[in-house]
Amino acid sequence: MFLSRSLHKPFSATASSSSSSVSSMASHHLHHQNGDSTITTTHSPPSKKLKATPITPSELLAEFSHHHPSTARINNGSFGSCPASIIAAQRKYQLQYLQQPDDFYFNRLKPYILKTRSIIKDLINADHVDEISVVDNATTAAAIVLQHITWSFFESKFNKGDTAVMLHYAYGAVKKSVQAYVTRAGGEVIEVKLPFPLKSNDEIITEFKKALEKGKSNGRKIRLAVIDHVTSMPCVVIPVKELVKICRDEGVDRIFVDAAHAIGCAEVDMQDIGADFYTSNLHKWFFCPPSVAFLYSRKTDKIADLHHPVVSHEYGNGLAVESAWIGTRDYSAQLVLPEVMDFLSRFEGGIDGIRKRNHERVVEMGEMLAAVWGTHLGSPPKMCASLAMVGMPACLGISSDSDALKLRTHLRDCFGIEVPIYYRAPNDGEFNPITGYARISHQVYNTTEDYYKFRDAVNKLVNDAFTCALLSD
Amino acid sequence: MPASVSSPRIIPELGCCCTLHTQTFLSTVPTKPWHYRYSAFIVATTTMGEPHEDSHLHGHSKKPKLSSFITEPQLREEFAHHQPLVARINNGSFGSCPASIIAAQRRWQLKFLQQPDDFFVNHLQSRILHSRTLIKHLINANDVDEVSIVDNATTAAAIVLQHVGWAFAEGRFQNGDAVVMLHCAFQAVKKSIEAYVTRAGGSVVVVQLPFPLSSTEEIVVAFKKGLARGKANGRKVRLAIIDHITSMPCVVIPVRELVRICREEGVDQVFVDAAHAIGSVHVDVKDIGADFYVSNLHKWFFCPPSVAFLHCQKSPVMPDLHHPVVSHEYGNGLAIESAWIGTRDYSSQLVVPEVLDFIDRFEGGIEGIRKRNHDAVVQMAEMLAKAWGTNLGSPPDMCPSMAMVGLPASLGISSDTDASKLRTHLRDHFGVEVPLHYQAPKENGDKGSLITGYARISHQVYNTVDDYLKFRDAINQLVQDMFTCSMLLQQ
Repeated sequence: MFLSRSLHKPFSATASSSSSSVSSMASHHLHHQNGDSTITTTHSPPSKKLKATPITPSELLAEFSHHHPSTARINNGSFGSCPASIIAAQRKYQLQYLQQPDDFYFNRLKPYILKTRSIIKDLINADHVDEISVVDNATTAAAIVLQHITWSFFESKFNKGDTAVMLHYAYGAVKKSVQAYVTRAGGEVIEVKLPFPLKSNDEIITEFKKALEKGKSNGRKIRLAVIDHVTSMPCVVIPVKELVKICRDEGVDRIFVDAAHAIGCAEVDMQDIGADFYTSNLHKWFFCPPSVAFLYSRKTDKIADLHHPVVSHEYGNGLAVESAWIGTRDYSAQLVLPEVMDFLSRFEGGIDGIRKRNHERVVEMGEMLAAVWGTHLGSPPKMCASLAMVGMPACLGISSDSDALKLRTHLRDCFGIEVPIYYRAPNDGEFNPITGYARISHQVYNTTEDYYKFRDAVNKLVNDAFTCALLSD
Repeated sequence: MPASVSSPRIIPELGCCCTLHTQTFLSTVPTKPWHYRYSAFIVATTTMGEPHEDSHLHGHSKKPKLSSFITEPQLREEFAHHQPLVARINNGSFGSCPASIIAAQRRWQLKFLQQPDDFFVNHLQSRILHSRTLIKHLINANDVDEVSIVDNATTAAAIVLQHVGWAFAEGRFQNGDAVVMLHCAFQAVKKSIEAYVTRAGGSVVVVQLPFPLSSTEEIVVAFKKGLARGKANGRKVRLAIIDHITSMPCVVIPVRELVRICREEGVDQVFVDAAHAIGSVHVDVKDIGADFYVSNLHKWFFCPPSVAFLHCQKSPVMPDLHHPVVSHEYGNGLAIESAWIGTRDYSSQLVVPEVLDFIDRFEGGIEGIRKRNHDAVVQMAEMLAKAWGTNLGSPPDMCPSMAMVGLPASLGISSDTDASKLRTHLRDHFGVEVPLHYQAPKENGDKGSLITGYARISHQVYNTVDDYLKFRDAINQLVQDMFTCSMLLQQ
């Protein structure tokens, strides 16, 4: 049933989408070994175990059966998702701690976290495991990097008025953090205005260069560039490699890539990207429970004196070791990477395969919706990760951030659809502008029904001559 | 008479003796040199007893009180996940959480996973506010705005000290202005002072407290002296950090008095690190009168790891406190900031209502638990001290639900490392979990100075006599075998 209604192929099959081939795949999983050896899963650690059984559609359903059944959950981007088997693994670690916490603290926690860091190091092609710290989330990573900037201002390594450059579309929490740690300490913040919708990377590069010029004007030094790898709202893939190179050419002190979404939905290679600091959440697109992220800090001659702001016994022993103990708390979300790697190996092509299929599906669904509604995508497909910005019909009258939020709530409460909506102010002279974009996500648990449901809900609103003005505050 | 399958609970002498119930039986414990004051459990009837001062009726369950106190088997079940072969006499370090609270926490975790957007938009903030409100009543705070929920006391220290760091950096404090701390302050807090105060140009005054102690007065005298020394040369004391219950060695500090002394001596602000306090001593933040007060709910208040409250007296300085992990709510007050510091699992912060229900199942609620824990741990400590020929590190009235018991001098504990190695040895070879403290010998050569090692024993509702007997016997074994710490390999 599931297979016949979905447009996409089952995840464990290669060419065929019939259920018989899925079951034959399951029973002849050894064939996969030959197939898999030709698939480049660039950074996954070599598995020393027997090849995992490919996940079947019903197993996949079971893994996400805790998801609210009548919700079209097309917002994996915000809070991510976690399969049942990983939740179970997490609970084992939680229980281990509760059984004998002293033993856990003295004998197990550190090796577990080191294992996690090693897996991440391989995943992202970092040089040394020392460069990898595990923290709660990208928000925490931002605080770590930015607090370091504060100290640099106060210890007179930076001059008042030195600049930090960030994208206008930087995540709201990061903007606040920049305010709290950079502006407050005397730094000046330059925002890179990006157009949206976007047609190509060139538009981004041009604006970025302009902002750097501004940041260097009047003899100032650009101390930090904060660059998103995948912006949140509106959602596009930023050409980070190029922007990092431009930063180096222009003498920017440090480059921090906020890649909250990236791991699991974009290509993440520390040697290739070349940033000083890079953070990504493992609970968004990498199937970890809430919450766990890594902060990569490149080993260079310049010592980056990073510290976790919650100071505990390990202060001064390096960020990675500091972050591995910030007082008594539940670290279990940070310990399930081995189990997640096992889970991923049950999918054709591992995480790379998942990423590619998510991307193809979300673009397909995005184009389907745009065609039905007579709108367009906010960026070309190659600038989409596992998310896509789909224009909403102009007649819905989304004319402010507040409208977008109210419409989103309306879709949740009245149609059972979970999708974030972005308001985009129209430019002068635009005729019948599209001012609202839905950010649709695709993760392994999504089906075409989810997007049809959304399609139909919006069609109904249009047919009913609905406008946002009708929604109360 | 029914045989007691497991070790009976310690029933300390109380004015009225109603505690655990359901069966009336005579103790089948063989007579030993010491024994229970009471050898019979009496069925508790429907009397409510005195109303708890820790009232939690506001916004909380208003179920009628039945004679449904927790039974012995139910209690065992609640802690059945504890490793059975370990004498777990270290509730102080990491606390403990009953099975029913773990289950409640899992329900919250699942709710988030089911539909996280809905949870975030419609449930999280109101549930955190509910927890904060219950805590406000528990601790006798004036206003729920004063109560923030954070991960642990370590985080609270970072919040307060980062605020001090900014004050130095922004010129409100001058280079050399002082922060006062006790020499036995928790190590993480000391590091935090280094990271935020010393680094920013502040100086640190360390107040030595004596140990072992025979009275509260010794602490008051030592503190006054230390504070006066700190103020010498006209230095301004910007912040005093005082433990309510020190960690190692563990004693109850007369915080109310020390806060008063701080005010008299012109200390700007006082931060009470009360990591252990809630659930083991009476907590009344108005009465104590500090500017900042933090306690962990996962130590002695049955919450899962981890959750703590930070109480901040309403003042002009309050708006300037920030959670170091800055997110969308920056600038909306510490309590609101702390309620969203990015995507993470907030479930341990949401089970306060369920914990209050759990506590309700004990005679006298948290007050009853506190008192019985204290009485039991003192009784056990005295038993051990007698068995080993040592002494307690402080008088009973300075012990909370923990006690410092001197270890036999023959064990040769001569450094912090020795204490740590012996602790590991006790865990690995005897299945006893108990932290040990090395106390450098005093100069004056009295009997007490021969004791250089103290064990910090805890008592929580799940502990039984066997736990302490096991410890007693382990030490006796070591002494008999002429064990000394020098025999232990490098860790």
